[in-house]
Amino acid sequence: MGDAGENLLARKRVVLLAGDAQRRQLIDEHPEAVLVSESLPLRANLSVLENITVVLQFRTNTYIGEANDSAWTLLSKVGHTACAERRDPDLSYEERFVAKLLRAIVLAPPLVLIDRPAQMLPDTNYPYFLNKLLLALEGRFEKCWILDYEWNAPLYNSRA
Amino acid sequence: MSALHAWLNLRGRGFSDWLSAWGRVFGFVMTALVGVLSPSTYNKATRVVVQKQIYFTAWQILPGFAFFAALFSILIIEIVGSTARKYGLYEQGLELLIRILVLEILPLMTALFIALRTGAAINTEVALMKIQNELDAMQRIGIDPLRLELLPRVVGGTVSVLALTAVNIVVALWLTQLLIIDFHPWTLTTGDFTRMIGKVLDLPALIVLWSKTLAFGFAVTVIPISEGLNTPQKLFHAPISVLRGMVRLFFSLMVIEAAALTIVYV
Repeated sequence: MGDAGENLLARKRVVLLAGDAQRRQLIDEHPEAVLVSESLPLRANLSVLENITVVLQFRTNTYIGEANDSAWTLLSKVGHTACAERRDPDLSYEERFVAKLLRAIVLAPPLVLIDRPAQMLPDTNYPYFLNKLLLALEGRFEKCWILDYEWNAPLYNSRA
Repeated sequence: MSALHAWLNLRGRGFSDWLSAWGRVFGFVMTALVGVLSPSTYNKATRVVVQKQIYFTAWQILPGFAFFAALFSILIIEIVGSTARKYGLYEQGLELLIRILVLEILPLMTALFIALRTGAAINTEVALMKIQNELDAMQRIGIDPLRLELLPRVVGGTVSVLALTAVNIVVALWLTQLLIIDFHPWTLTTGDFTRMIGKVLDLPALIVLWSKTLAFGFAVTVIPISEGLNTPQKLFHAPISVLRGMVRLFFSLMVIEAAALTIVYV
């Protein structure tokens, strides 16, 4: 395993939960965390690029060109520039998830919580997909916890 | 007796709901006023939304709407002008034109058009944002939806109503000059026309006109936003929200117009 892979191991954690109450409690206990969740959609009338850009523009008062460049760099890192100009209804599950994740990490938050990835990636081998994605974004976040239910634990052990 | 009690109960609950809905609208009006006047509301992201709102509300429709307002103005000028000519009441006709067309009809017509076009769109968009949890999602990533999505629409919408009204008034005054003074050999001169404008559009009239237009602009954005924000998170409530917002907006525009008329003429 390379350096990037070892770094990711240190930063990524799969939190296996017994039920919804435990999930809610964990989210409430970490108000500093940025949540990536099915229940927190993208802005429907903004493109993927704008959804990422607007966070930078609003929170750091960045110029639009500069914010666009940062958002584009992130999309390039994960290989999803093709969906940059598309809006939420025209995105695949994977593209939508990538947009939500990039929107969440664009300001390098201390903790990213990926809430029940199975809901957001129903047609994907998501443990593998997440690993690949987070590896590509290495260094853009402090910690990332994947919140999933105990009964999905075997999925994370597979080598696929 | 119990039927009467049930009926009164139903009416009372309806009245209470109506009252609390207006209470929410006024609550949001106050929040919006404070937000719009606060410099901390504005940054690079919010300014982009203001620009987009002005583009979609005013700039995009400017040629078509100005043309329609011009045709409408020609119609009114011709009706009033020909009647005045028949009875020799040139000056009164001119005064009536400026009072009715410039001070009353054009500002109200502009506000109603923007209410139908932009107000309905804003109401629908905010209701859908509420229903689909987009507002909450923005808050979770550290974006204040009031500052980014709602207040810029209020500013953009209000500026658009003011700008379109101003354009329509200038076009109407120019057409009045053209049709009444230049094309018809009346006894009135350009000097009479200028004096009449000065007489009718004096400072108090101008203050009332622009205060009323400002209130129209504020209403056509604030009421739909407030109604959208109060939509329950169920998709089938979206059309109900727009319906209520538009009725409330129409009622408010009429109240503003009536209040302005009362100030000027009573």
